[in-house]
Amino acid sequence: MEDLDFFIGDEALQAAKGPAYSLNYPIRHGQIENWDQMERFWENSIFKYLKCEPEDHYFLLTEPPLNPPENRENTAEIMFESFNCAGLYIAVQAVLALAASWTSSKVVDRSLTGTVIDSGDGVTHVIPVAEGYVIGSAIKNIPIAGRDITSFIQTLLRERGEKDTSLKTAEQIKQQFCYVCPDIVKEFNKFDSHPDMFAKYIVETVNQSKLEIDVGYERFLAPEIFFNPEIASSDFLTPLPTIVDQVIQSSPIDVRKNLYKNIVLSGGSTMFKDFGRRLQRDLKSLVNERVAQSERLSGTKSSGVTVQVISHKRQKNAVWFGGSLLAQTAEFKSYCHTKRDYEEYGPNIVRNFSLFSVP
Amino acid sequence: MLQLQPQNLLVEEAIGQAFAPDYTPVFLDRIITDFDFTTYHLSTPESKTKLLLSISIKCWNDLVNYGVKELLLSKYSKYPFIQQAQPEYGYDYSLYIDVEQATFSDEEEKQQLIAELSLLKRNCFAAPFLQAFQRYEVLSKEQPVDPNNLYGEDSPNNSNEQVLQLHYRDMESIYIKPSNDRVTVIFSTVFQDDTDKIFSKVFLQEFSDARKRSIQKAPQVINSHQEIPLEIKHLEAANTHNKTYITFVLFPRHLSTEDVKWNSITHIQLFRSYFHYHIKIVKCYLHQRMRFRVNSFTKILNRARRDVDDEEHRSERKTASGRRFEMRA
Repeated sequence: MEDLDFFIGDEALQAAKGPAYSLNYPIRHGQIENWDQMERFWENSIFKYLKCEPEDHYFLLTEPPLNPPENRENTAEIMFESFNCAGLYIAVQAVLALAASWTSSKVVDRSLTGTVIDSGDGVTHVIPVAEGYVIGSAIKNIPIAGRDITSFIQTLLRERGEKDTSLKTAEQIKQQFCYVCPDIVKEFNKFDSHPDMFAKYIVETVNQSKLEIDVGYERFLAPEIFFNPEIASSDFLTPLPTIVDQVIQSSPIDVRKNLYKNIVLSGGSTMFKDFGRRLQRDLKSLVNERVAQSERLSGTKSSGVTVQVISHKRQKNAVWFGGSLLAQTAEFKSYCHTKRDYEEYGPNIVRNFSLFSVP
Repeated sequence: MLQLQPQNLLVEEAIGQAFAPDYTPVFLDRIITDFDFTTYHLSTPESKTKLLLSISIKCWNDLVNYGVKELLLSKYSKYPFIQQAQPEYGYDYSLYIDVEQATFSDEEEKQQLIAELSLLKRNCFAAPFLQAFQRYEVLSKEQPVDPNNLYGEDSPNNSNEQVLQLHYRDMESIYIKPSNDRVTVIFSTVFQDDTDKIFSKVFLQEFSDARKRSIQKAPQVINSHQEIPLEIKHLEAANTHNKTYITFVLFPRHLSTEDVKWNSITHIQLFRSYFHYHIKIVKCYLHQRMRFRVNSFTKILNRARRDVDDEEHRSERKTASGRRFEMRA
């Protein structure tokens, strides 16, 4: 019976505060490490939260880019053998993020080509996708993400000697007040000439008293670490626009133009106001410089490169939203591998999935 | 989690939030699933403070025959801010909840309403059971239990009693038959997978034996894998799809008070899902044991691996044509 005595999600965090339970993370760095716990996680999420009989339903699971095919096979074994699910589709997260961007009015053709910037809590990925296939050799990671921004705000608060410098306060300040500015020097001047730019954040303490926390330059400085990493870290110094440019330059030459034209944001740490605009401007200046140089050297006129960063409302849960968009289509079931296919060919059928055709 | 929870956690959470004192109304449009092809739809069609909770159930027409509408009316009409709305298109039953008008005398009442709403599916499925229980009460008055009936045989007068039927899944049904000293509930199930069928046999055997061993208060469970039980012989012509029949016999002790009745209904209506859930988690457990075994075997095998040291390695280096390298120190 002890194998049924466990919790997942927020309830797990609650239970771990007591003495009887310990906390485990079955997924590390986006990869499943503990299959026993993962199987139990799925069991609980299907029967407790989703409340569905897996035999009646088709499942859409997502995987990170560069997930080894063995992991896919293990996943399929669990889904089909333990749960007898009717059908299974495993999609790459970046592709779903691209699909989610179709809700934006800027997107004219619903193509599955583009660069996905996925920034969560731990790490930021820049992933080029060409016609639904991830270009694995060109993927780059940046060790700057939500957690680093929060701790940067926390250090600023501490240096200034605010009354409350907990992680939670820093996180709230990040979510409520931070935005991306076009130019730091001008923004500093603006703050100095307009004192109303300084905000106040009110913390309620345990004993019902209220603390006022001043929110100052960190409003624009915190997200700035994506564009000028040297203000926060000393070991990683390449700005995000440069990384994006490098990623696209290392992709095959025939898709580069489309990769520049469709840069899609996904994940909670891309939610800052004007993040997309700033990225687009910086990237454009990099690209224009290179185009100008090549024009000068070759003496011919370039047809120009459009750089477009697409922000949309569903950015925070872009992968989930893209998944739900595709799973609702009538043809979703025809792309899945069914239980019968699995029994016929074995687990290695999930190494390949046909791509969603683009309407 | 040993038992499946009868309430729907997602509905419970959404409604709990809506009734919270610091609720900021938001636009909602959620589709939530439940077992046995049940779907909830929670939306705010008119204004953000008016929630429309709709439910669709596969066997709704069966339930209507057994008075589900009256039951739900009696459950929810005592709250003035809940209206029985015209069912939304594609759904069978809708409740319109005006969050602004909601007033509660105390916290307990609020929690009770949230629980009642999240138990909407159970309440729907309760209708035929309650009807059968009522019929049982009538029958037991007409014809008191014969104390000389030592072997607990069903009295012959009851064989003409109407059997309530619920076709709640494509090939699977629930049959409920009231009688003067018991209510018999029969589930018919089909297993898609052969492995599952074997697990189910073991599991059901355990169920039937439990009563003999220790749990005297449990209802009697009889299972038959091929034969159609006598109670429903006239309803099911032939066992075409290799169905398994599971019979629960609810005795007067399971039907004594209102609370006990609802408790019996809550558990028995979830039986099929519970049964399948346990077959699945047994497989999960077996897989865990298998992984553990494989790991320990590979550890033993790795012990037999010989460490190749550098010296040996060097002597084995050859070119493609088979010549050895002359190593210069």
